[in-house]
Amino acid sequence: MVDPAIRTEGLSKYYGSVRALSDLSLEIPQGEVFGFLGPNGAGKTTTIRLLLGLIRPSAGMAEIFGLDCQKRAVDVHKRITYVPGEAGLWPSLTGEETLHLLGRVHGKIDENYRNQLVKRFDLDVTRKIRTYSRGNRQKVILISALMSRPDVMILDEPTSGLDPIMEHEFRDCVDEARERGQTIFLSSHILSEVEALCDRVGILREGRLIEIGTLEHMRHFSALQLEISFAGEVPDLSSAPGVSVVKSGGQNVSLQLSGPVKPLLEVLSRYEVNRLTSREPSLEELFLSLYGEGGQSDETGAGADG
Amino acid sequence: MKLVLVQMAEDLNVGEASRVSKDWLVARRTIRSVLPSGVLWGVVFGVFVASSAFSYSSVYKTQAERASLASAFGANVSTSALFGPGLKLDTVAGYTAFHIWLTTAIIGAVWGITASTKALRGEEDSGRWELMLTGRTTQMRATFQALSGLLGGVFAAWLLTAAITAGSGRAQQFGVALRPALFFALALVATALMFMAVGALTSQLGATRRQAATYAGWVLGASYALRMIADSGTGVHWLVWVSPLGWVEELKPLTYSDALPLVAIFLFTLAVGSAAVVLAGNRDVGAALIQDRPHARARLRLLGGHFGLAIRLVRPVLVNWGIAVAITGFLLGYISYAAGETLSRSSMYSIYSRLGASGTGIEVFLGVSFLVAAVVLTFVAIGQLTATRAEEAEGRLDQLFSRPVGRTWWLFGRLSIAVVVLVFFGVLSGVTAWLGVAVGTTKVSFVSLLEAGLNIVPPSIFILGAATLAMGVWPRATATVGYSLLSWSLLIEFIGGIGAMNKWLFDTSLFHQMAAAPSVPPNLTSDLWMTAIGIAAAALGLVAFARRDLQGR
Repeated sequence: MVDPAIRTEGLSKYYGSVRALSDLSLEIPQGEVFGFLGPNGAGKTTTIRLLLGLIRPSAGMAEIFGLDCQKRAVDVHKRITYVPGEAGLWPSLTGEETLHLLGRVHGKIDENYRNQLVKRFDLDVTRKIRTYSRGNRQKVILISALMSRPDVMILDEPTSGLDPIMEHEFRDCVDEARERGQTIFLSSHILSEVEALCDRVGILREGRLIEIGTLEHMRHFSALQLEISFAGEVPDLSSAPGVSVVKSGGQNVSLQLSGPVKPLLEVLSRYEVNRLTSREPSLEELFLSLYGEGGQSDETGAGADG
Repeated sequence: MKLVLVQMAEDLNVGEASRVSKDWLVARRTIRSVLPSGVLWGVVFGVFVASSAFSYSSVYKTQAERASLASAFGANVSTSALFGPGLKLDTVAGYTAFHIWLTTAIIGAVWGITASTKALRGEEDSGRWELMLTGRTTQMRATFQALSGLLGGVFAAWLLTAAITAGSGRAQQFGVALRPALFFALALVATALMFMAVGALTSQLGATRRQAATYAGWVLGASYALRMIADSGTGVHWLVWVSPLGWVEELKPLTYSDALPLVAIFLFTLAVGSAAVVLAGNRDVGAALIQDRPHARARLRLLGGHFGLAIRLVRPVLVNWGIAVAITGFLLGYISYAAGETLSRSSMYSIYSRLGASGTGIEVFLGVSFLVAAVVLTFVAIGQLTATRAEEAEGRLDQLFSRPVGRTWWLFGRLSIAVVVLVFFGVLSGVTAWLGVAVGTTKVSFVSLLEAGLNIVPPSIFILGAATLAMGVWPRATATVGYSLLSWSLLIEFIGGIGAMNKWLFDTSLFHQMAAAPSVPPNLTSDLWMTAIGIAAAALGLVAFARRDLQGR
């Protein structure tokens, strides 16, 4: 039986009485691109730092390719690379020196691919790190992670600071990695990025995993978005079974519908409907429906580091 | 970091009602940051004054003893070059001023440089300065405010030094009135004032805080060298007037109290501080007047792993320290003949012998000189550990530890480099002291000076180990633990050198555990104990570091 790329069981982290992550159990098969979502302070970065062995769990375990992330950290790190949202690099080194160092420390790099990446991300590697913009520093980290062609890439807000062209380049690189069978664990606030790249998505709230599955799966169990245009009288649909978040303007009404459609259709059949369109929710709408319109969760008890 | 930025953002986005107070936000932030160290040094300087005065009066009870000390020590040119001229050494006040002025002047200058480069270039390095400038201020105004805040820190230090000096001056055996006490305290904090301005200026010149501090350090070094040459009896005493340390010396507090050099001190501070403000207003945020080369040819030789990286990172700092150690060693060796000859006839001999030195005057002088070198070496040890901790605090370790790099090996590598450097510097101080001695006289053998050089290593290994343990268990206290041990040992040596002290208390000083070689043979038992405890503490620190969470600032 093939080990999953990433597996956690009951993984928890507390800072005193503050709960940063609670009882996280998930399994990510090899070759999957997994999106990890949650508002600030939900515990995403805590999870990533636990997977990297940078912090110790209060309870539970985490494995990468069947290797314990704490006890076998060095062996685990031979098979992974990590991209933080904002990397600490050595200001006195140049881009080339940094890439050389990180490649040698990792132990395996594809030199040709590295040179290709430097061109694709349009990075001047002769400059010292201290003279780079934030976006260019992020490119250094991205290239250093991609050039090793690791089995698993752990990405925490990887495109922060990148311009849209570079973001697009990054997506292409992730697609190529997926084609090569690499596993990607992507934590991001850019929901369109997650929607475009990820096979499955996990959503954290207050340190707990509240939703996991494919986008299709999530959409299936979530509310349908309906836009209805009436020719005559506009009814009050807020009390109709399964209907929520009703907004009306003139002859038009938009609403969310959970559960079977039939009861609403029975109500609508009594009125003159010009047009009725339905669509599945976007990831952003799914996300907002889980956290409320403001996209904010009650952060009580959750970690402060994302 | 996030919390600081949020707090700053809140502070900056306030309503018009509080406009006046918020216009001084930078000054208030700076004073909040510098006040604790200002209070600390104020108290330490005050304690130095009081302990020195009371110890002197308890050891030198009779006028004859005091006159003997004054005649022997006050006329010693070599000692005058090293520590400044001794005036009215037959009085408690005169001796106290002589005994502590240079120590406090150098501590004050280092504090001034550290505080101002942190408040200016350090804030710029971190990006907080830029955020601050998005508020209702300009680069010029913000720099002015930061300097004003720093001034608040110096004022606090002056106030506390003055209060303790005036309080202790009321005692009959010290007998210093309020006005001389205030003047003396001003002399003690004057270098802090001047070098805060220097640090502010070099913060405009250097592209990083380290560069800014290095430039300011050169100014301090030049200032010390000029004063030393001026006091060396070579007919160039006028040089004292081109050195900030020389101006402080010329204040002659508690003896002849000359206020004229205050004009130079204030003019210098005003001119340098104003230059810093003007230059700040005429450059881009993040830019420097001495431009760092943005491009560089890749030098990959050492970048094959974390160990080579560590060598590459510490190399520039260590080269500077190495030069300082070599020059100091040579100079001490060079003047040892003259200093030692005078010393053997002076009552300072008894003070030095209380610090554990014995033998000929030259040997005793060299023994005490190596004690000073041991203090310098502990600074190197603490500096190495704080740089190591900074790698973690600034998030750079995340990049290494998410790759196949073991934590224990990484820290072990850094400690190994530190130990090799400490041993090398010990040997360097011995060899350069011998070179200095050889130029003048050959009365001290190469082997005994080499032994003396190696003898200064164990206290720094002890402190390195203790700070490593702190880094493993309580990382944010790494520097505090190192500097506390150093300060405590210094304070004990300082007081113990003057007067009788409880043996057990004296033994708590690391420097007292170290034999004053080459005047006496190195105490191998003591050296081994200090080294063994240091290594054991470092080993515990390594284990703790490998088991704990990585922690930012």
